Amino acid sequence: MIKLRHVERNYPLAKGKFFYVLRDINLDIAEGEFVSIMGPSGAGKSSLLHILGMHDHAWTGEYFFGEAAVHHLKAKERSALRNEQIGFVFQQYHLLDDLTVYENLEIPLSYRQVSKTERAALVADTLDRFSIVGKKDLYPRQLSGGQQQLVGVARAIISNPKVILADEPTGNLHSSQGEEIMELFRKLNHEGTTIVQVTHSDKNASYGNRVIQLRDGFVVS
Amino acid sequence: MIQEIRLALRALAKSPAFASIAILTLALAIGATTAVFTIVNALLIRPLPFKNPQQLVLLWEEFSQQGLDRIPVSAPEYLDYQKETRSFDQIAAFDYTSFSLTVGDLPEEIPGSVVWPNLFRLLGVAPIRGRVFTPEEVGEGHDDVVVISQRLWQRRFNSDPAIIGNKLSMNGRTFTVVGVMPASFEFPLPIFGLQGGQFAQRADIWKPIAFTKGELSSRGSRSYGVIGRLRSGVSARQAQAEINTLTANWTQRFQDNYTSGTGFGAKVYPLHDQLVGPMRGGLLILLGAVGFVLLIACANLTTMLLARASWREREFAIRSALGAGPLRVLRQVLTESVLLAVIGGVAGVMLAIWGIDILRALGAQTVPRLREANLDTTVLFVTLAVSIGTGILFGIAPAIASAKPELTEALKEGGRGSTSGRRRNRLRNALVVAEIALALVLLVSAGLLMKSFSRLQNVNPGFDPHNVLTMEFSLPVTKYPRGKPVIDFYNETLRRVKNLPGVEAAALTTILPLSGTNSDSSFHIEGRDSRVTKVFPDEEIRVITPDYFRVLKMPILQGRGFTEADSPDAPGVVIINRALAKKYWPNEEALGKRINFDDSDPAKIKWITIVGIVGDIHHQGLDVEPKPEYYLPHAQLPYRQLVLAIRSKQDPRNLTSAIRNELHTLDPERPVANIRTLEQVASDSIAPRRLSVVLLGVFAGVALLLAAVGIYGVMSFLVVQRTHEIGVRMALGAQRADVLRLVIARAVKLIIAGTAIGLFLAIGSTRALATLLYRVSAFDAATFAFVTVILAMIALLASYIPALRATRADPMLALGHNA
Repeated sequence: MIKLRHVERNYPLAKGKFFYVLRDINLDIAEGEFVSIMGPSGAGKSSLLHILGMHDHAWTGEYFFGEAAVHHLKAKERSALRNEQIGFVFQQYHLLDDLTVYENLEIPLSYRQVSKTERAALVADTLDRFSIVGKKDLYPRQLSGGQQQLVGVARAIISNPKVILADEPTGNLHSSQGEEIMELFRKLNHEGTTIVQVTHSDKNASYGNRVIQLRDGFVVS
Repeated sequence: MIQEIRLALRALAKSPAFASIAILTLALAIGATTAVFTIVNALLIRPLPFKNPQQLVLLWEEFSQQGLDRIPVSAPEYLDYQKETRSFDQIAAFDYTSFSLTVGDLPEEIPGSVVWPNLFRLLGVAPIRGRVFTPEEVGEGHDDVVVISQRLWQRRFNSDPAIIGNKLSMNGRTFTVVGVMPASFEFPLPIFGLQGGQFAQRADIWKPIAFTKGELSSRGSRSYGVIGRLRSGVSARQAQAEINTLTANWTQRFQDNYTSGTGFGAKVYPLHDQLVGPMRGGLLILLGAVGFVLLIACANLTTMLLARASWREREFAIRSALGAGPLRVLRQVLTESVLLAVIGGVAGVMLAIWGIDILRALGAQTVPRLREANLDTTVLFVTLAVSIGTGILFGIAPAIASAKPELTEALKEGGRGSTSGRRRNRLRNALVVAEIALALVLLVSAGLLMKSFSRLQNVNPGFDPHNVLTMEFSLPVTKYPRGKPVIDFYNETLRRVKNLPGVEAAALTTILPLSGTNSDSSFHIEGRDSRVTKVFPDEEIRVITPDYFRVLKMPILQGRGFTEADSPDAPGVVIINRALAKKYWPNEEALGKRINFDDSDPAKIKWITIVGIVGDIHHQGLDVEPKPEYYLPHAQLPYRQLVLAIRSKQDPRNLTSAIRNELHTLDPERPVANIRTLEQVASDSIAPRRLSVVLLGVFAGVALLLAAVGIYGVMSFLVVQRTHEIGVRMALGAQRADVLRLVIARAVKLIIAGTAIGLFLAIGSTRALATLLYRVSAFDAATFAFVTVILAMIALLASYIPALRATRADPMLALGHNA
């Protein structure tokens, strides 16, 4: 489903030199996999995730998402593909402070031109599925960290993406909340969603079926 | 305090871009305030440059039933006022005149005044050299002395220390210079809105009055202004009561001169009110306008400082954590804002100096006392007070915000979303709304004035002012004593001028339209006894030569114009305008009717027949409806002082030297004065309005610029503040258009709120403009709509730039920033 070939990412330094954060990445992720990207700080994990999520396009090499050659896509096509196929979960949750839980869930749908009635139905389903109907009118600051991340995951899957990219999804949660979220990921994966997570935690990695180790920008295993 | 100033200077030096924009904003606003206050100070606040000026009054007569007010006084009336009033310490008559001064070979027409000899003592101004007139130096045979101005002394006599006692050759006579008045002395002062005085040039020569026998024998021949100094303890109202009794008494004593039913009387007017009173409204509007500009600048600076306070939140939190009390932080931040304001004030004063020079150049000829406008200690003190006040006003909210930092949030790395932040956003939004509202009020006002001015400029004056050159000319009584020499001289002048290549037509007139001068005269209509009809015709009179209507391209509607055949010995003829015909012969033919000027002796009545009717012209001003006027041929009523008007086939200014040469050949001692095109005359007539339009337009432009900068600043800050949110939205699938919509929608809300409040305020405030508008309603819907759309578009554009920047936000960086 995801295929990277010789992908490299660098940042220019002074005197015409470059600092490489990712070097010659070759990677295949099949549909339905639950992959964990691990490695020390600065290894390039988040950079890789941003490339996979098509937020970053200043890289070289080849990236195939299903049949689409991402490296040939224009910005608009890339963004359409991302909106259709990918959901994101962040360590900092990144819920919008001034929107209620309901509105936070609605946001990705509104960017996908989903009609208002359909949006309402999808949000209602998702609130129900994640058992957060009672919290729909609360603002993020009125929720615990675990609840916020629950909303974050719900927001990621609401538009029914094929892939969820998660950047340290439990990094800000205490262990029981973290376990809840990881169980949720496992459930989603069993339901057919491909999951790629960046994590430092071996325990979290054990929820997946494959680990990719990065070191100094290289895939080492 | 010194340490706080040092710290403030260091903080400002650390942010040169912020400091520069803030100082520029303040310089514009404080500079505009200073410039306008300088004018207000010179015109309304600063006392007139005379001793105890509050005691000085002008005395004008009136015929209230005929709608005539502020008319001059005759010689016998003046002498009676002098003799019979007790309210005045002194009174003095004066009149405008000009002198043909010849020094060497160069004749020059010098503006001057004839005055009662006590005038200088009455005003309490002493000469810098020599003396003023003695009480004996008055009347024919005793008036061969003059006092000159310092300007003339320097310009024409090279500041000759031996000027006193020098003989001057003027108007064919010899006068002895007895004194030199200081450069600051100006009298008669140009009187705003008064015909004959509005555009008068500064007098450089003063000569004692010498009433002629004719003047002394006619109570109805009124040509002198009268100034008086009230006796100590006597109010203008008391003086008025005395004058009322006196004039009532005259109407009984001189029944032939003051026909009952005319409403004859006299009024006492405080001098200062007469000079600048009518400008008070306009000046206060301008002062209000700069006040708005200052408020907009304050709002801008407050938003800038609030943004700065957000960025410095951590700094102030650390200071507070280290023990700085709220007052200490408050003082520090206020010191910075006041320091900024004072620096801005200094820059503003520089701008004001430059601005005042421009204003003086634009309006000194047409706005009384404007040439006195300068930066004195009062202005500088007010500027300092305004600067400090401004600094406190725009600094107080950011200072309070900084003095109460949210320690736990601010000291946390990446802490965000505090309640105080939302509070500040509300304040920022409110400030932008206020800026837009205030700018809209100014723009609507400027728009209305501009529309009014444009309508005024497009008024058809009833004549064609293009390609006409005008110049003033006068003949001395000594050389041209009676009618024939005067007529012959002017006929020859016209003959020579008409023969010059490029000249299409040439004529003479006593008064040019729109020149600010006027003359009226009463007459009797055949078959209508005023004592019976109670109608006392008194209308505006002009004396002209035959080609006058050709030169001005005025249409002859009925009958004929004057011809050479209308000679002194021919039957008397008159041409009237349509307004006069309509007023006195509304339902009958005016042509062929007869009038006379003196019907006291039926046997000697000299009838004058109406031979033509011409179109109406705007004489008193483009904004004043045409009045009834009548024209007499110069050959039948010769005047020594006339204005030459020449219609040219090309740019009329090219004819100047050729005409000068012809006149010099004719009489080398006769100078020409006030050479202007008729277009210039018309343009000068609306100069005070132009000044208001230019000033209000500039202030509205500055307000628009500041409001645009304000909304740009707030939206930029909003975008920076919402970088994270925008990044998340983009990560969640928001397209550029979605982000653009998000930011613009916020701006649109502010713009709608601002324009709604602004329109509400404008409707309330433009009423004050009503008196300054010409054929434009104070609620002109088109102007309101146009200006609102323009402001909204500029505000949208100002918010579009940060919105566009927001769409370029890199979600990766935005997310990484806070992750």
